Amino acid sequence: MAIKVKVMDRPIEEVSYVRATLSGLALTFKHMVDPHKVTVQYPEERWDISPRWRGTHRMLTTEDGKAKCVACGLCPTVCPANCIKLVPGEDEEGNRYPLVFEIDEFRCIFCGYCQEVCPEEAIHVGRHYENAEYSRDQFVYDLERLTAQTHPVCEMWDPADPKGE
Amino acid sequence: MAETMVNLTIEGRAVSAPAGTSILEAAKQAGVLIPHYCYHPGLPVAGVCRMCLVEVEKAPKLAPSCATAIAEGQVVHVYSEKALESRKSVLEFLLINHPLDCPICDQSGECELQDYTFAEGRADSRYREPKRFNPVEDFGGDVLYVPNRCILCTRCVRFMDDVHEAPVLNVSERGDRAFIGKAVDDDLTQPWAANVVDLCPVGALLSKDFLNKARAWELDRTASVCPGCSQGCNITIETRDNVVMRYKPRGNDAVNKFFMCDEGRANYRWLNRPDRIELPMVAGNAVDFSVAIAAAAATLKGKRAYVVANPSMSNEALYLLKRLIVKTGGAGHFSVSIGNEAPLPGVEDLSLRADRAANANGAELLGFKRSDNALAGLASGDVLIIANEELAGVSADAISKADAVIVIGIVMPKCVTTAATVLPIATFAEEEGTYTNLRGRVQRFLQAKATPGHARPSWYVLSDLLTACGETSEFFTASAAFDALAKNEPAFSGLSYDSLGLKGAVIAGAMAGAK
Repeated sequence: MAIKVKVMDRPIEEVSYVRATLSGLALTFKHMVDPHKVTVQYPEERWDISPRWRGTHRMLTTEDGKAKCVACGLCPTVCPANCIKLVPGEDEEGNRYPLVFEIDEFRCIFCGYCQEVCPEEAIHVGRHYENAEYSRDQFVYDLERLTAQTHPVCEMWDPADPKGE
Repeated sequence: MAETMVNLTIEGRAVSAPAGTSILEAAKQAGVLIPHYCYHPGLPVAGVCRMCLVEVEKAPKLAPSCATAIAEGQVVHVYSEKALESRKSVLEFLLINHPLDCPICDQSGECELQDYTFAEGRADSRYREPKRFNPVEDFGGDVLYVPNRCILCTRCVRFMDDVHEAPVLNVSERGDRAFIGKAVDDDLTQPWAANVVDLCPVGALLSKDFLNKARAWELDRTASVCPGCSQGCNITIETRDNVVMRYKPRGNDAVNKFFMCDEGRANYRWLNRPDRIELPMVAGNAVDFSVAIAAAAATLKGKRAYVVANPSMSNEALYLLKRLIVKTGGAGHFSVSIGNEAPLPGVEDLSLRADRAANANGAELLGFKRSDNALAGLASGDVLIIANEELAGVSADAISKADAVIVIGIVMPKCVTTAATVLPIATFAEEEGTYTNLRGRVQRFLQAKATPGHARPSWYVLSDLLTACGETSEFFTASAAFDALAKNEPAFSGLSYDSLGLKGAVIAGAMAGAK
């Protein structure tokens, strides 16, 4: 039994593919000349990230290259993810200094509390997002690694200047 | 003579206290803590810090509550505008020369200056001039003096003068140049001097031993009793990550007031020793606990148990050992190491006792015999049970008479080479139990850290061993073991964990003041 198909009788200008093709091509040609680009040619090109970007940590140092940290213990206390390990001790001159300072970047939730709480402005979250490593254990950053980082650090949100002006 | 009670109102609360009580102490009763620095209940009143000023109605000026006695009908306002304003000013003055180096200060987190400034102080300072600077000074003993942080409350001076009766400290210079000075030819190498570190409300006097080791808020605190001597000072064991960091004295008016001696304070490291026995062993092979208990019970079968007990074992463990001795017809001995006695002159009946063991009294009450050489009575054919003793300096020959050896301890004694059975137990910081001090006060200590490896509490191991030997002794808590002890030992009758609390209770037979 043959099936009867109802054929709609539509005007040619509505069903022709030519119009759709042309409008599609128009969009493509428009993007070719549009200065607003969506795709970034990473890694040749990179986004400018926000000054408040919170990425992997960096420990700032004094002029003589020592970590500014005095091992006060506030960052491991405030850390909501418990990712900072700190063992306080004394350096050669008898100053309070971290014997062990490790941040497990896998555990870190990048809240930035450690930077906010630090009374010595030593530990900072960084404006940095390229963190690939070959093994998992390399994501536990020790003091040497943290002081060796060079990327720019986060500018925390200032309640007095909420828009960063 | 009955004390006359005085009624007054503090912060709208009716308080009744004996005549002569200070407003500050009366306020404590009412649950109001008046901020204070120089006042300490264990020291004479000085009234120098001006922090405890409160408003008393109908009085012309604010009154120092530590040095003002209560009076009938007094109405005291601790948090009135005037009192708050005055304390705010006092705090601002105290902070003029305070370096605000809280990040590197060991007192941070347990500092009264931090606490009260946070609660009532100004948010900023109006002082623009450079701060006074004095170098750090070593006061000898375990004490380090950081003069910049000092608020000159003189608690340390009064402790050394009036309680320790060794006047080594004074207030030198005047005005803003004042600092705590130390006698030229003497220092704080004194048996009780480290108490000034606890007394110091700020970080001016620090323990050299604890310096830069941990932060106050990282420590877990557990009520315990010092095992160092037979005085039985109440202490708090402070641990971090299962490592004992320090002891602090815990107040108990009947034993140690607020103090503990330096020797007891320094005696915490052995709790962290790495050479502990962690696994039960039979003939040198690590086995399951049940296997080791069965082996020990088989060894004891038909033999006399000769127990050499450590007089710092808990009452519960000694009681269970005693039952083992009675069952096998054996004997129990202990020896106590003797040191120098060092009393604290300003406190009655408080001293670092010559007996350097916590529970010699309890061991004697439970029938253990005290002797200089605990191994002297060992007869051939006995089973030697070495209970928590290290037997330092004892040669292997001295115990060769024993038919077999059972070690119930925390470390292997050096003289034991072919121990039949080794049962690892907990230290006093890893189990619950009680000690009996030399005045017959039975005091509880609580578990502060976990045992290493498979070690178990001593009362648990010994009750299992007794059960394996055919006795009915199944205890699942330390309090059950203590209840059995109180029921079966007349010396301890009437006591229970409930009646001991955390301040202890004196056993019925103990005469007050008996040596």
